[in-house]
Amino acid sequence: MPDTAHEQPQQRQFYPYTENGGTILAIAGADFTVIAGDTRQSEGYSIQTRYAPKVFRLTERAVLAVNGFAADGNMFVKKVKQRLEWYRHAHAKEMPLRAIARLIQTMLYAQRFFPYYVNNILGGIEEDGSGAVYSFDPVGSYEREACRAAGAASSLVQPFLDNQIYFKNQTPAPGTPHPTYLPLPDVLAIVIDSFTSATERHIEVGDGLEMYVVLAKGRSIEELADVAGVQELTTRADGDRMFVIQRELKKD
Amino acid sequence: MSIMEYNGGSVIAMVGKDCVAIASDLRLGNQALGIASDFEKIFPMTDRVYLGLPGLATDVTTLREQFRYRLNMYTIKEEREIEPETFAHLVSSTLYERRFGPYFIEPVMAGLQRLPNGGYKPFIAATDLIGCINFAKDFVVAGTASSKLFGVAEGLWEPDLEPEDLFETIAQTLLNAVDRDAYSGWGAVVHVITKDKAIKRVLKGRMD
Repeated sequence: MPDTAHEQPQQRQFYPYTENGGTILAIAGADFTVIAGDTRQSEGYSIQTRYAPKVFRLTERAVLAVNGFAADGNMFVKKVKQRLEWYRHAHAKEMPLRAIARLIQTMLYAQRFFPYYVNNILGGIEEDGSGAVYSFDPVGSYEREACRAAGAASSLVQPFLDNQIYFKNQTPAPGTPHPTYLPLPDVLAIVIDSFTSATERHIEVGDGLEMYVVLAKGRSIEELADVAGVQELTTRADGDRMFVIQRELKKD
Repeated sequence: MSIMEYNGGSVIAMVGKDCVAIASDLRLGNQALGIASDFEKIFPMTDRVYLGLPGLATDVTTLREQFRYRLNMYTIKEEREIEPETFAHLVSSTLYERRFGPYFIEPVMAGLQRLPNGGYKPFIAATDLIGCINFAKDFVVAGTASSKLFGVAEGLWEPDLEPEDLFETIAQTLLNAVDRDAYSGWGAVVHVITKDKAIKRVLKGRMD
């Protein structure tokens, strides 16, 4: 047996988390919701892939965007989808959006002492037909909002959204109050501008942009007719309608 | 504890059509504690050159006096006022002199450069704390809200803004950025510089 008495003590450790960059964003309208994310996945200064979706269709009226540690994010989405399938089998209907939000809270808090290293944004259509966005912290604290940005470039995007969606620091002309909700074309333009801006100034954002649009039942789809790169994902003819719009972002 | 975030504060400068603007918040803090809401960080160096000094407050005062002295020496020697580009190099060399024990300031400059034909060219620049110059063509930012300023400015700024539109753009950029930064805010000040006048406007902002 070799003599090891003179050797220095060695320390090893395993760090179970990584930060994979990227940014997600969701904006609610009166009767629609837009949920978007870039498709770059990186580790440090290396790009692992230019197409790794961060936005996922959960039901015909709910979309979940997951940002942070990609492995945790993918596993979390998988488990949420599994719980939603069980719900369908038990209740013969889709889980409503506000119930999915509460489910996500419970699932995140269940991992309170070894959390999923992710920020979640849930978007879709509520039972009353209104557009809704729910944002979560990694351990399940959540809130319903009109808009939210999360991820690597959230500090760049969120103040822009405060200004353009909530009209913060803007005074309306007398007798013309600021709108509570914006029309779909305006929202799409703001989402695209937010991501092109974030791509310009943040190295972890870029490559591609995926925007999910959920429209409440009976709503006109006219505003999406002339949008480039739109693809319909609707499964049922008589329900809410879902679309995905794919755009290129700068790859440098 | 980061020295750059000890007192808080942010500055931004933008180029417009035959004009420039430079703006800052008015907060002076001691880490999370607010101390004053009238702490200006932007100083006129000449009629057409303005300097913003976000960073450690004690160095704001020191550098302001340092530049006042160096500028007076330059004006006496050269018998003319300094041009913005020359001033940027003066700032750079002043900071690099302290390469291994720097002033904790990231200066931002805005001015109008006199051309041989008698006209003026908008000029903005910023440096890091040891004087590495960034001659940007659109906008420059510095301070504790810099990442927020980058995000909003990238979304709002466009080329060839007239002085009034440039004022609105820089004011909205600053106000919305500092509202998401705990170390910046508590009011703001905007300077718009054109060839025949420099306008200073003090803005109200969120006081939380």
